[in-house]
Amino acid sequence: MAIEEGTIEKVRDALVRAATIYRDDQKDAFRRAIASEQNERAKWALEQLLANALAAETNKSPLCDDTGVPHLILELGDQRSLSGQMLEVIHAGVAEGLNALPGRPMAVLGDDKQRLAQTTGLDLDPAALVPAPLIIKHVSGNTMRLHILMQGGGPEIRGKTYRVFHKHRIDTIVDEICSWASEEVGKLGCTPCVPSIGIGRSHFEASALMLEAMVFGDFNVQNETEQEITRRINETQTGPIGLGGSNTALATFMKIGPQRASGVRIVCLRLSCCVEPRRASVDL
Amino acid sequence: MKQVISSCSNKTCRAVKRLDLPLSQADIEGLKPGDRIEIFGNIYTGRDAVLPKIVADIENGQALPVDIDLQGSAIFHTAVSPAGVGPTSSNKQEIEESIAPLSAAGVKLHLGKGALSPSTVEALAVNKSLYAVLPPVTALLQSKIKAVELVAYPEEGMEAFHKLTVEGFPAIIAVAHGKTLY
Repeated sequence: MAIEEGTIEKVRDALVRAATIYRDDQKDAFRRAIASEQNERAKWALEQLLANALAAETNKSPLCDDTGVPHLILELGDQRSLSGQMLEVIHAGVAEGLNALPGRPMAVLGDDKQRLAQTTGLDLDPAALVPAPLIIKHVSGNTMRLHILMQGGGPEIRGKTYRVFHKHRIDTIVDEICSWASEEVGKLGCTPCVPSIGIGRSHFEASALMLEAMVFGDFNVQNETEQEITRRINETQTGPIGLGGSNTALATFMKIGPQRASGVRIVCLRLSCCVEPRRASVDL
Repeated sequence: MKQVISSCSNKTCRAVKRLDLPLSQADIEGLKPGDRIEIFGNIYTGRDAVLPKIVADIENGQALPVDIDLQGSAIFHTAVSPAGVGPTSSNKQEIEESIAPLSAAGVKLHLGKGALSPSTVEALAVNKSLYAVLPPVTALLQSKIKAVELVAYPEEGMEAFHKLTVEGFPAIIAVAHGKTLY
Protein backbone atom coordinates (compact mmCIF):
# COMPACT_ATOMS: atom_id res chain seq x y z
CA MET A 1 0.00 0.00 0.00
CA ALA A 2 1.33 3.44 -0.93
CA ILE A 3 2.01 5.87 1.88
CA GLU A 4 -0.70 8.48 2.00
CA GLU A 5 0.34 12.06 1.32
CA GLY A 6 0.41 14.15 4.47
CA THR A 7 1.54 11.31 6.76
CA ILE A 8 4.62 13.21 7.93
CA GLU A 9 2.41 16.16 8.87
CA LYS A 10 0.00 13.86 10.75
CA VAL A 11 2.85 12.47 12.85
CA ARG A 12 4.25 15.98 13.38
CA ASP A 13 0.91 17.29 14.62
CA ALA A 14 0.42 14.30 16.92
CA LEU A 15 3.78 14.93 18.58
CA VAL A 16 2.91 18.59 19.14
CA ARG A 17 -0.47 17.60 20.61
CA ALA A 18 1.21 15.12 22.95
CA ALA A 19 3.49 17.81 24.38
CA THR A 20 0.98 20.65 24.60
CA ILE A 21 -2.46 19.32 25.52
CA TYR A 22 -4.03 17.72 28.59
CA ARG A 23 -6.76 15.35 27.47
CA ASP A 24 -10.26 15.78 28.94
CA ASP A 25 -9.84 12.93 31.46
CA GLN A 26 -6.59 14.57 32.63
CA LYS A 27 -8.32 17.93 33.12
CA ASP A 28 -11.13 16.13 34.99
CA ALA A 29 -8.55 14.63 37.36
CA PHE A 30 -7.06 18.04 38.13
CA ARG A 31 -10.49 19.60 38.66
CA ARG A 32 -11.43 16.81 41.09
CA ALA A 33 -8.13 17.26 42.93
CA ILE A 34 -8.61 21.03 43.23
CA ALA A 35 -12.15 20.56 44.52
CA SER A 36 -11.10 17.99 47.13
CA GLU A 37 -7.84 19.54 48.32
CA GLN A 38 -8.02 21.12 51.79
CA ASN A 39 -4.42 22.32 51.93
CA GLU A 40 -4.43 25.85 50.51
CA ARG A 41 -0.82 25.70 49.28
CA ALA A 42 -1.47 22.41 47.54
CA LYS A 43 -4.65 23.78 46.00
CA TRP A 44 -2.67 26.75 44.66
CA ALA A 45 -0.13 24.43 43.02
CA LEU A 46 -2.87 22.36 41.41
CA GLU A 47 -4.56 25.50 40.11
CA GLN A 48 -1.26 26.67 38.60
CA LEU A 49 -0.83 23.32 36.85
CA LEU A 50 -4.31 23.44 35.36
CA ALA A 51 -3.82 27.08 34.30
CA ASN A 52 -0.55 26.00 32.68
CA ALA A 53 -2.36 23.31 30.72
CA LEU A 54 -4.93 25.80 29.46
CA ALA A 55 -2.16 28.27 28.48
CA ALA A 56 -0.24 25.51 26.68
CA GLU A 57 -3.32 24.43 24.75
CA THR A 58 -4.24 27.99 23.80
CA ASN A 59 -0.72 28.97 22.73
CA LYS A 60 0.32 25.53 21.41
CA SER A 61 3.41 25.78 23.58
CA PRO A 62 5.12 23.04 25.62
CA LEU A 63 3.55 22.03 28.94
CA CYS A 64 7.03 21.67 30.42
CA ASP A 65 10.46 22.87 29.31
CA ASP A 66 11.68 19.28 29.56
CA THR A 67 9.76 18.39 26.44
CA GLY A 68 10.80 14.75 26.75
CA VAL A 69 12.17 11.97 24.60
CA PRO A 70 9.70 10.59 22.03
CA HIS A 71 8.61 6.98 22.62
CA LEU A 72 6.57 5.35 19.85
CA ILE A 73 4.12 2.46 19.96
CA LEU A 74 2.59 1.32 16.69
CA GLU A 75 -0.61 -0.74 16.70
CA LEU A 76 -0.50 -2.80 13.51
CA GLY A 77 -3.55 -4.68 12.28
CA ASP A 78 -3.36 -8.11 10.60
CA GLN A 79 -4.69 -6.58 7.38
CA ARG A 80 -1.88 -3.99 7.17
CA SER A 81 1.76 -4.26 6.23
CA LEU A 82 4.60 -2.11 7.49
CA SER A 83 7.43 -1.04 5.21
CA GLY A 84 10.81 0.42 5.96
CA GLN A 85 9.64 3.43 4.00
CA MET A 86 6.77 3.96 6.46
CA LEU A 87 9.25 3.84 9.35
CA GLU A 88 11.27 6.53 7.58
CA VAL A 89 8.15 8.66 7.22
CA ILE A 90 7.27 8.21 10.90
CA HIS A 91 10.75 9.28 11.95
CA ALA A 92 10.60 12.27 9.60
CA GLY A 93 7.28 13.26 11.21
CA VAL A 94 8.82 13.00 14.68
CA ALA A 95 11.72 15.23 13.60
CA GLU A 96 9.31 17.80 12.15
CA GLY A 97 7.27 17.66 15.34
CA LEU A 98 10.33 18.33 17.50
CA ASN A 99 11.14 21.37 15.38
CA ALA A 100 7.56 22.63 15.36
CA LEU A 101 7.01 22.21 19.11
CA PRO A 102 9.84 23.38 19.63
CA GLY A 103 11.46 20.59 21.60
CA ARG A 104 14.28 21.33 24.01
CA PRO A 105 17.53 20.70 22.14
CA MET A 106 18.97 17.92 24.25
CA ALA A 107 20.60 15.40 21.94
CA VAL A 108 24.03 14.67 23.44
CA LEU A 109 26.91 14.92 20.95
CA GLY A 110 29.95 12.67 20.61
CA ASP A 111 31.07 9.05 20.51
CA ASP A 112 29.99 6.48 23.08
CA LYS A 113 32.31 7.65 25.83
CA GLN A 114 31.74 11.35 25.10
CA ARG A 115 27.98 10.91 25.21
CA LEU A 116 28.17 9.08 28.53
CA ALA A 117 30.28 11.79 30.13
CA GLN A 118 28.49 14.57 28.19
CA THR A 119 31.79 16.27 27.49
CA THR A 120 31.27 17.50 23.92
CA GLY A 121 28.06 19.45 24.31
CA LEU A 122 24.55 19.24 22.91
CA ASP A 123 23.16 19.41 19.40
CA LEU A 124 21.29 22.70 19.03
CA ASP A 125 18.81 21.13 16.61
CA PRO A 126 15.67 19.91 18.47
CA ALA A 127 15.15 17.36 15.68
CA ALA A 128 18.49 15.70 16.45
CA LEU A 129 16.81 13.98 19.40
CA VAL A 130 16.18 10.48 18.07
CA PRO A 131 13.15 8.60 19.43
CA ALA A 132 13.49 5.48 21.57
CA PRO A 133 13.16 2.18 19.64
CA LEU A 134 9.67 1.72 18.22
CA ILE A 135 7.42 -0.96 19.73
CA ILE A 136 4.93 -2.79 17.50
CA LYS A 137 1.72 -4.12 19.01
CA HIS A 138 -0.07 -6.69 16.87
CA VAL A 139 -3.86 -6.18 16.70
CA SER A 140 -6.64 -7.39 14.41
CA GLY A 141 -8.21 -5.42 11.57
CA ASN A 142 -7.16 -2.65 9.24
CA THR A 143 -5.47 -0.54 11.90
CA MET A 144 -2.17 1.30 11.80
CA ARG A 145 -2.26 3.63 14.78
CA LEU A 146 0.81 5.44 16.07
CA HIS A 147 0.94 6.45 19.74
CA ILE A 148 3.52 9.04 20.76
CA LEU A 149 4.65 9.46 24.37
CA MET A 150 6.97 12.29 25.40
CA GLN A 151 8.94 11.02 28.40
CA GLY A 152 10.52 13.54 30.76
CA GLY A 153 13.75 13.06 32.68
CA GLY A 154 12.57 13.45 36.30
CA PRO A 155 10.30 10.38 36.22
CA GLU A 156 13.14 8.32 34.75
CA ILE A 157 15.17 9.08 37.89
CA ARG A 158 12.25 7.93 40.05
CA GLY A 159 11.53 4.72 38.16
CA LYS A 160 12.92 1.22 38.23
CA THR A 161 12.40 -2.26 36.81
CA TYR A 162 12.90 -4.99 39.39
CA ARG A 163 11.88 -8.47 40.50
CA VAL A 164 9.29 -9.24 43.13
CA PHE A 165 8.91 -12.68 44.71
CA HIS A 166 5.14 -12.77 44.80
CA LYS A 167 4.59 -15.68 47.26
CA HIS A 168 1.40 -16.41 45.31
CA ARG A 169 -0.31 -13.28 46.62
CA ILE A 170 -1.08 -10.17 44.58
CA ASP A 171 -0.87 -8.19 47.82
CA THR A 172 2.86 -8.93 47.97
CA ILE A 173 3.35 -7.22 44.61
CA VAL A 174 1.08 -4.28 45.44
CA ASP A 175 2.83 -3.80 48.80
CA GLU A 176 6.20 -3.71 47.07
CA ILE A 177 4.96 -1.17 44.50
CA CYS A 178 3.44 1.07 47.17
CA SER A 179 6.52 0.86 49.35
CA TRP A 180 8.89 1.87 46.56
CA ALA A 181 6.55 4.56 45.21
CA SER A 182 5.99 6.08 48.65
CA GLU A 183 9.73 6.19 49.29
CA GLU A 184 10.50 7.90 45.97
CA VAL A 185 7.54 10.21 45.45
CA GLY A 186 8.84 12.88 47.82
CA LYS A 187 11.96 13.18 45.67
CA LEU A 188 10.09 13.47 42.37
CA GLY A 189 9.47 17.20 42.78
CA CYS A 190 6.82 17.36 40.08
CA THR A 191 3.87 15.85 41.92
CA PRO A 192 1.02 14.95 41.74
CA CYS A 193 2.37 11.87 40.03
CA VAL A 194 0.78 9.14 37.94
CA PRO A 195 2.38 5.79 38.86
CA SER A 196 2.74 3.89 35.58
CA ILE A 197 3.29 0.17 35.99
CA GLY A 198 3.97 -2.81 33.74
CA ILE A 199 4.24 -6.36 35.08
CA GLY A 200 5.67 -9.06 32.83
CA ARG A 201 8.18 -11.89 32.45
CA SER A 202 11.33 -9.93 31.62
CA HIS A 203 12.67 -6.44 32.16
CA PHE A 204 12.05 -5.58 28.51
CA GLU A 205 8.48 -6.86 28.59
CA ALA A 206 7.68 -5.06 31.86
CA SER A 207 9.03 -1.78 30.43
CA ALA A 208 6.99 -2.18 27.23
CA LEU A 209 3.88 -2.90 29.31
CA MET A 210 4.53 0.21 31.40
CA LEU A 211 4.58 2.30 28.21
CA GLU A 212 1.38 0.60 27.09
CA ALA A 213 -0.23 1.50 30.43
CA MET A 214 0.70 5.14 29.79
CA VAL A 215 -0.78 5.02 26.29
CA PHE A 216 -4.14 3.48 27.25
CA GLY A 217 -4.62 4.61 30.87
CA ASP A 218 -7.68 6.73 31.66
CA PHE A 219 -7.94 9.01 34.71
CA ASN A 220 -11.69 8.39 34.83
CA VAL A 221 -11.51 4.58 34.61
CA GLN A 222 -9.57 3.00 37.46
CA ASN A 223 -9.75 -0.62 38.59
CA GLU A 224 -9.64 -1.68 42.24
CA THR A 225 -5.87 -2.28 42.32
CA GLU A 226 -5.11 1.03 40.62
CA GLN A 227 -7.35 2.83 43.11
CA GLU A 228 -5.62 1.13 46.02
CA ILE A 229 -2.14 2.13 44.82
CA THR A 230 -3.27 5.74 44.33
CA ARG A 231 -4.86 5.80 47.79
CA ARG A 232 -1.79 4.43 49.51
CA ILE A 233 0.57 6.89 47.80
CA ASN A 234 -1.76 9.72 48.77
CA GLU A 235 -1.40 8.63 52.40
CA THR A 236 2.17 9.96 52.27
CA GLN A 237 0.69 13.50 52.23
CA THR A 238 3.58 14.59 50.01
CA GLY A 239 1.16 16.66 47.96
CA PRO A 240 1.65 18.77 44.82
CA ILE A 241 5.34 19.77 44.42
CA GLY A 242 5.90 18.48 47.94
CA LEU A 243 3.75 21.15 49.59
CA GLY A 244 1.61 18.64 51.48
CA GLY A 245 -2.05 17.79 51.06
CA SER A 246 -4.08 14.85 49.89
CA ASN A 247 -3.20 14.77 46.19
CA THR A 248 0.19 13.11 45.78
CA ALA A 249 -1.01 10.77 43.00
CA LEU A 250 -3.87 11.58 40.63
CA ALA A 251 -4.39 8.05 39.30
CA THR A 252 -2.48 4.83 38.59
CA PHE A 253 -2.05 3.25 35.16
CA MET A 254 -1.20 -0.45 35.29
CA LYS A 255 -0.87 -3.09 32.57
CA ILE A 256 -0.45 -6.74 33.49
CA GLY A 257 1.00 -8.97 30.76
CA PRO A 258 1.62 -12.69 30.48
CA GLN A 259 3.37 -14.14 33.53
CA ARG A 260 6.22 -16.62 33.96
CA ALA A 261 5.57 -19.98 35.62
CA SER A 262 7.75 -18.97 38.53
CA GLY A 263 7.80 -17.33 41.93
CA VAL A 264 9.00 -14.08 40.45
CA ARG A 265 7.25 -11.16 38.71
CA ILE A 266 9.14 -8.40 36.89
CA VAL A 267 7.69 -4.99 37.72
CA CYS A 268 8.46 -1.75 35.90
CA LEU A 269 7.36 1.24 37.95
CA ARG A 270 7.67 4.79 36.67
CA LEU A 271 6.41 7.71 38.71
CA SER A 272 5.17 9.81 35.82
CA CYS A 273 5.05 13.51 36.66
CA CYS A 274 2.26 16.08 36.83
CA VAL A 275 2.34 16.90 33.10
CA GLU A 276 2.29 13.23 32.09
CA PRO A 277 1.30 11.12 30.36
CA ARG A 278 2.05 13.42 27.43
CA ARG A 279 0.58 11.33 24.68
CA ALA A 280 -1.29 11.53 21.40
CA SER A 281 -2.38 9.03 18.78
CA VAL A 282 -2.82 9.21 15.04
CA ASP A 283 -4.19 6.76 12.48
CA LEU A 284 -1.88 6.21 9.50
CA MET B 1 6.47 45.22 48.67
CA LYS B 2 2.76 45.76 48.12
CA GLN B 3 0.13 43.29 49.17
CA VAL B 4 -2.33 42.58 46.38
CA ILE B 5 -5.37 40.38 46.07
CA SER B 6 -5.08 38.74 42.72
CA SER B 7 -6.42 35.22 43.02
CA CYS B 8 -10.09 34.50 43.43
CA SER B 9 -11.87 31.22 42.79
CA ASN B 10 -15.02 29.67 44.18
CA LYS B 11 -15.83 32.96 45.95
CA THR B 12 -12.54 32.69 47.87
CA CYS B 13 -9.76 35.25 47.46
CA ARG B 14 -6.22 34.61 48.65
CA ALA B 15 -3.55 37.18 49.41
CA VAL B 16 -0.65 37.37 47.00
CA LYS B 17 2.37 39.51 47.80
CA ARG B 18 3.97 41.41 44.95
CA LEU B 19 7.77 41.36 44.89
CA ASP B 20 9.61 43.92 42.78
CA LEU B 21 13.26 43.14 42.10
CA PRO B 22 15.82 43.96 43.39
CA LEU B 23 14.60 43.03 46.87
CA SER B 24 15.16 45.18 49.94
CA GLN B 25 15.78 43.91 53.46
CA ALA B 26 12.26 45.06 54.37
CA ASP B 27 10.84 42.89 51.59
CA ILE B 28 12.60 39.86 53.00
CA GLU B 29 11.61 40.49 56.59
CA GLY B 30 7.96 40.72 55.56
CA LEU B 31 7.84 37.22 54.09
CA LYS B 32 7.40 33.81 55.71
CA PRO B 33 7.10 30.21 54.47
CA GLY B 34 3.76 29.63 52.80
CA ASP B 35 3.36 33.19 51.51
CA ARG B 36 2.30 33.34 47.89
CA ILE B 37 4.18 35.82 45.76
CA GLU B 38 4.24 37.27 42.27
CA ILE B 39 7.64 38.42 41.03
CA PHE B 40 8.27 41.43 38.80
CA GLY B 41 11.55 42.61 37.28
CA ASN B 42 14.80 40.97 36.23
CA ILE B 43 15.60 37.40 37.25
CA TYR B 44 18.88 35.62 36.55
CA THR B 45 18.85 31.96 35.55
CA GLY B 46 21.32 29.16 36.07
CA ARG B 47 21.60 25.51 37.04
CA ASP B 48 24.15 22.68 37.40
CA ALA B 49 26.57 23.84 34.72
CA VAL B 50 26.88 27.58 35.24
CA LEU B 51 26.20 28.27 38.92
CA PRO B 52 29.45 26.64 40.11
CA LYS B 53 31.32 28.82 37.60
CA ILE B 54 29.73 32.01 38.96
CA VAL B 55 30.56 30.88 42.49
CA ALA B 56 34.16 30.15 41.47
CA ASP B 57 34.46 33.61 39.92
CA ILE B 58 33.26 35.19 43.19
CA GLU B 59 35.53 33.06 45.36
CA ASN B 60 38.54 33.78 43.14
CA GLY B 61 37.87 37.50 43.33
CA GLN B 62 37.30 37.62 39.60
CA ALA B 63 35.04 40.42 38.37
CA LEU B 64 31.66 39.26 37.15
CA PRO B 65 30.47 40.45 33.74
CA VAL B 66 29.21 44.05 33.93
CA ASP B 67 25.62 43.01 33.30
CA ILE B 68 25.47 41.01 36.54
CA ASP B 69 24.43 42.82 39.71
CA LEU B 70 23.70 40.29 42.42
CA GLN B 71 22.64 42.75 45.14
CA GLY B 72 18.99 42.03 45.99
CA SER B 73 18.73 39.74 42.99
CA ALA B 74 16.86 36.51 42.25
CA ILE B 75 18.24 33.38 40.59
CA PHE B 76 15.86 30.91 38.99
CA HIS B 77 17.15 27.32 38.73
CA THR B 78 16.26 26.62 35.11
CA ALA B 79 17.62 26.18 31.63
CA VAL B 80 16.54 28.68 28.97
CA SER B 81 15.68 26.98 25.71
CA PRO B 82 13.29 27.46 22.79
CA ALA B 83 10.93 25.20 24.76
CA GLY B 84 10.77 27.78 27.56
CA VAL B 85 11.77 27.72 31.22
CA GLY B 86 10.77 25.60 34.20
CA PRO B 87 12.20 24.80 37.62
CA THR B 88 14.75 22.05 37.95
CA SER B 89 15.39 20.41 41.33
CA SER B 90 17.28 22.87 43.52
CA ASN B 91 18.62 20.03 45.68
CA LYS B 92 20.88 18.74 42.91
CA GLN B 93 24.33 18.88 44.47
CA GLU B 94 25.89 21.54 42.24
CA ILE B 95 22.85 23.80 42.47
CA GLU B 96 22.31 23.49 46.21
CA GLU B 97 26.00 24.06 46.91
CA SER B 98 25.75 27.41 45.10
CA ILE B 99 22.96 28.75 47.30
CA ALA B 100 25.06 29.70 50.35
CA PRO B 101 27.89 31.51 48.51
CA LEU B 102 25.51 33.26 46.14
CA SER B 103 23.42 34.41 49.11
CA ALA B 104 26.55 35.76 50.74
CA ALA B 105 27.28 37.60 47.48
CA GLY B 106 23.90 39.37 47.54
CA VAL B 107 21.33 37.02 45.96
CA LYS B 108 18.16 37.37 48.02
CA LEU B 109 15.78 34.98 46.30
CA HIS B 110 16.52 31.49 44.98
CA LEU B 111 13.73 30.07 42.87
CA GLY B 112 13.35 26.37 42.05
CA LYS B 113 11.71 23.26 43.37
CA GLY B 114 12.24 20.59 46.03
CA ALA B 115 13.31 20.47 49.66
CA LEU B 116 16.69 21.86 50.76
CA SER B 117 19.02 20.43 53.39
CA PRO B 118 19.07 21.85 56.95
CA SER B 119 22.51 23.36 56.35
CA THR B 120 21.23 25.28 53.29
CA VAL B 121 18.17 26.44 55.24
CA GLU B 122 20.54 27.76 57.90
CA ALA B 123 22.81 29.43 55.32
CA LEU B 124 19.80 31.22 53.83
CA ALA B 125 18.86 32.50 57.30
CA VAL B 126 22.40 33.68 58.06
CA ASN B 127 22.52 35.59 54.77
CA LYS B 128 18.91 36.84 55.07
CA SER B 129 17.89 35.26 51.80
CA LEU B 130 14.80 33.36 50.71
CA TYR B 131 13.95 30.23 48.75
CA ALA B 132 10.71 29.99 46.79
CA VAL B 133 9.25 27.14 44.73
CA LEU B 134 6.93 26.89 41.79
CA PRO B 135 5.40 24.05 39.80
CA PRO B 136 6.66 23.13 36.30
CA VAL B 137 4.33 25.57 34.54
CA THR B 138 6.35 26.39 31.44
CA ALA B 139 3.47 27.60 29.27
CA LEU B 140 2.17 29.86 32.03
CA LEU B 141 5.62 31.31 32.69
CA GLN B 142 6.18 31.90 29.00
CA SER B 143 3.22 34.26 28.96
CA LYS B 144 4.84 36.30 31.76
CA ILE B 145 8.34 36.64 30.26
CA LYS B 146 8.84 39.99 28.54
CA ALA B 147 12.51 39.72 27.57
CA VAL B 148 15.37 37.19 27.56
CA GLU B 149 19.05 38.17 27.53
CA LEU B 150 22.16 35.98 27.48
CA VAL B 151 24.48 37.43 30.13
CA ALA B 152 27.46 35.11 30.64
CA TYR B 153 29.04 31.76 29.79
CA PRO B 154 27.42 31.39 26.33
CA GLU B 155 29.33 28.12 25.81
CA GLU B 156 26.88 26.48 28.24
CA GLY B 157 24.08 26.90 25.71
CA MET B 158 20.65 26.60 27.31
CA GLU B 159 22.37 26.31 30.70
CA ALA B 160 24.20 29.64 30.29
CA PHE B 161 23.60 32.56 32.68
CA HIS B 162 20.57 34.45 31.35
CA LYS B 163 18.49 37.38 32.52
CA LEU B 164 14.71 37.25 32.19
CA THR B 165 12.44 40.25 32.52
CA VAL B 166 9.22 38.94 34.05
CA GLU B 167 5.83 40.25 35.07
CA GLY B 168 4.03 38.24 37.72
CA PHE B 169 5.95 34.98 38.03
CA PRO B 170 3.93 32.94 40.55
CA ALA B 171 5.72 31.19 43.43
CA ILE B 172 5.39 30.30 47.08
CA ILE B 173 7.96 31.03 49.80
CA ALA B 174 9.37 27.67 50.95
CA VAL B 175 12.29 28.73 53.17
CA ALA B 176 12.62 31.96 55.17
CA HIS B 177 14.30 32.93 58.44
CA GLY B 178 15.41 29.37 59.19
CA LYS B 179 11.94 27.89 58.69
CA THR B 180 10.86 25.61 55.85
CA LEU B 181 7.65 24.24 54.41
CA TYR B 182 9.25 20.82 53.88
